[in-house]
Amino acid sequence: MFRRTRRLALISALAATAVILSACSGTPEPAATSTGAPDPDATLQVGLVLEPTNLDIRHTSGAAIEQILIDNIYEGLVTRTQDNEIEGRLASDYQVSDDGLTYTFTLNDGIAFHDGTALTSADVVASYETVRTDATVQGNAEFASVASITAPDATTVEIVLTEPNQNFLFALTGPAGLVFKADDATDLKTAENGTGPFTLTRWSKGSTITFARNDDYWGEKAGVAEVEFQYIPDFTAGVNAALAGDVQVLTAVDPNLAPQLEGDFTLTKGRTTDKATLAFNNKKAPLDDVRVREALRLSIDHDALIEAVGAGTTLYGPIPELDPGYEDLSDVISYDPEKAKELLAEAGQEDLELTLTIPSFYGTTVPKVLISDFNKVGVTLKVNSVEFPTWLEDVYTNHDYDLSFVLHVEPRDFGNFANPDYYFGYDNAEVQDLYSQAQAEVDPDKSAELLAKAARIVSEDHAADWLYNGETITAVSPTVSGFPEDSINSRINLAGVTVSAEK
Amino acid sequence: MIRYALVRGALLIAGLLVSSVLIFLTLRVFPGDVAQLIAGTQASPAEVEALRESLGLNQPLLAQYADWIGGIFRGDLGTSLLSGASVSEELFLKAQVTVPLGIMSLLIAVLIAVPFGILAAILRGRRGGTALSVGAQALAAVPVVWAGMMLIVVFSVWLGWLPPQGFPRTGWSTPGKAIKSLLLPALTIGIVEGAMLMRFVRSATLQAAGQDFVRTAAAKGLTRTRALVQHGIPAVGLSIITVLGLQVAGIIVGSVVIEQLFTLPGIGRMLVADVGTRDLIKVQSELLVLTGFVLVVGFLVDLLHRAIDPRQREAA
Repeated sequence: MFRRTRRLALISALAATAVILSACSGTPEPAATSTGAPDPDATLQVGLVLEPTNLDIRHTSGAAIEQILIDNIYEGLVTRTQDNEIEGRLASDYQVSDDGLTYTFTLNDGIAFHDGTALTSADVVASYETVRTDATVQGNAEFASVASITAPDATTVEIVLTEPNQNFLFALTGPAGLVFKADDATDLKTAENGTGPFTLTRWSKGSTITFARNDDYWGEKAGVAEVEFQYIPDFTAGVNAALAGDVQVLTAVDPNLAPQLEGDFTLTKGRTTDKATLAFNNKKAPLDDVRVREALRLSIDHDALIEAVGAGTTLYGPIPELDPGYEDLSDVISYDPEKAKELLAEAGQEDLELTLTIPSFYGTTVPKVLISDFNKVGVTLKVNSVEFPTWLEDVYTNHDYDLSFVLHVEPRDFGNFANPDYYFGYDNAEVQDLYSQAQAEVDPDKSAELLAKAARIVSEDHAADWLYNGETITAVSPTVSGFPEDSINSRINLAGVTVSAEK
Repeated sequence: MIRYALVRGALLIAGLLVSSVLIFLTLRVFPGDVAQLIAGTQASPAEVEALRESLGLNQPLLAQYADWIGGIFRGDLGTSLLSGASVSEELFLKAQVTVPLGIMSLLIAVLIAVPFGILAAILRGRRGGTALSVGAQALAAVPVVWAGMMLIVVFSVWLGWLPPQGFPRTGWSTPGKAIKSLLLPALTIGIVEGAMLMRFVRSATLQAAGQDFVRTAAAKGLTRTRALVQHGIPAVGLSIITVLGLQVAGIIVGSVVIEQLFTLPGIGRMLVADVGTRDLIKVQSELLVLTGFVLVVGFLVDLLHRAIDPRQREAA
């Protein structure tokens, strides 16, 4: 009996896998929008893949939570547009002093929490003080340079930094910048008390989360009465649900299944800041040899890999197109197996054996391509597919790996290459210096230039390989207008979405 | 009888305690923890450490165990570290898939095992009997996952009669749909477990056939087969109850695998997901409930057996 129990735990551990198939891709067509009149009483049903583990956006990281809660349920002083530009949200206006140290925000009028309480600058101060002082709260590290948060009057908030921080305003567009009611007793894991255009009405775990329009919203009211997010972890089941009319929008469509939806749906390809990162353990031999790292990059046929994955664009450096500091770095690296072999010979690594540690939910497509590409230059790749928590422990925390693959989805996370303690193990004083200069630079354009310079060095050092920049495919029914396209894996702003009764 | 029940009950409690320690320790072997998962890939080690502290993951193992088991004694299965939901609520919710699945599987197993097992006993030594026995041996050795995939291929892909996976969003408010979606998974477990059970039914029947009272009946002029059916089978039923208790454990293990394969939102799938997120408090309680269920079934079967079968009492 006890043996059975143990076996049960083992089976549980073994059985958790997700399959992502791959072949060749269909080409989505340009968007057509609805022609019927919007129905203000409509319910919008959206299919998604990853369900949040809980709704406590203050303490839990993850795109699945941010995606639906930010801008819809909770709001910050500022927010980001689809192309990652910063704009005011709760703040009607904000100013940054010339020395880049003082941020002054003016609040919009009539903002209220969902429980009816009016929002004042005191709530902002309390929320941000929590982020600053509580290390368990998301964004605590981003608030390290905050000296003080004060409210000169009921509609003004002033934040003073100890040093200029180019990333600070952008950090406020994330979970760190959201405003919660001071001393609120709401259990944030399962309920909410935000200020956004929607309220949470129901969460039936494992299947749906439902929002209702907030008719007392301080700004422009939402265009639909209700939104139902349906969580469908299986890609095929998602497509079937869309074809059966259960959802009018399907996000994160599997590129290989996308053609099935053509005709009934408009397919959009959205840009993201997802960087499919093949990390090299820069501190570990033989990967501490730049020739080996370059050889590995030269041996990867990026175009063929993207073809196999089915969506995405090439990315040859650490900064994606939607982030400041992006430039096309395709001149740094090419596909050249012959040169790769030469470099490996030069480095004395003709019979190299490496292990790739990859969280199992990324499937087998990428490992398969890498195995065959590396094989052509005499590198044997072993694949160690692990559960995500195991990856976090072995790779992220203990840096115990050769090569690793994860999708780094966070925008503006170039700082990881300026952090020698990050799991990349990349330690370059020049890059670190350029990065801190970029952070301290008050002029955004100059800051971006410094970032671009640092990013080029990182790529020329072959600190990692960026297999592709992810694209997200969304299928939208012709009855739906205004559904966002870009970055929707981190934000689905529903404010401007409408559904018409007729096609 | 009372004394026996008390002794057997004490054994049950001891068994549960030992299980709880085993479960608790086994789960601590897994690499990674829920704090890392919650903090994500942009968190500094200090942030993860602070989170660990606030979740109570830094407490000594003994204190963590005492906390958990203390709650169990108060009837509190704890709350999920991740979702903040009460474990008992979630168990109850998911049981609405797993319990019907288990009952259906058991029914199918019995429906397969009893007639075919008796038939195999009657046809013993003939070609048909041998074929049945070999078939049962083969089926019992089939991995549940493979059986499930074969059934999906036949009934969903080729014939299109049953859905290949999933459970209706509407749940039991649409009973027809719900039962339909559980049919294939139940059939999968039922066939494999039924094949095991069938071999047992066959040998129990043969044993019964050799009993004095069956021989007496046959001597009175009944054919051997009729003597067996009229007098032997009731005795067989008794032994089957005992084995069914053991089958319950098999069905639970089967349902963990099968719920993955058929993406059913049941306890098995939840268990796998919770191990995947290292929500250990939740996994502990879930496993303890499942183990407890198996042990309690064993306990009841033993009592029942003793109450029904006079020979057991004499032996004691």
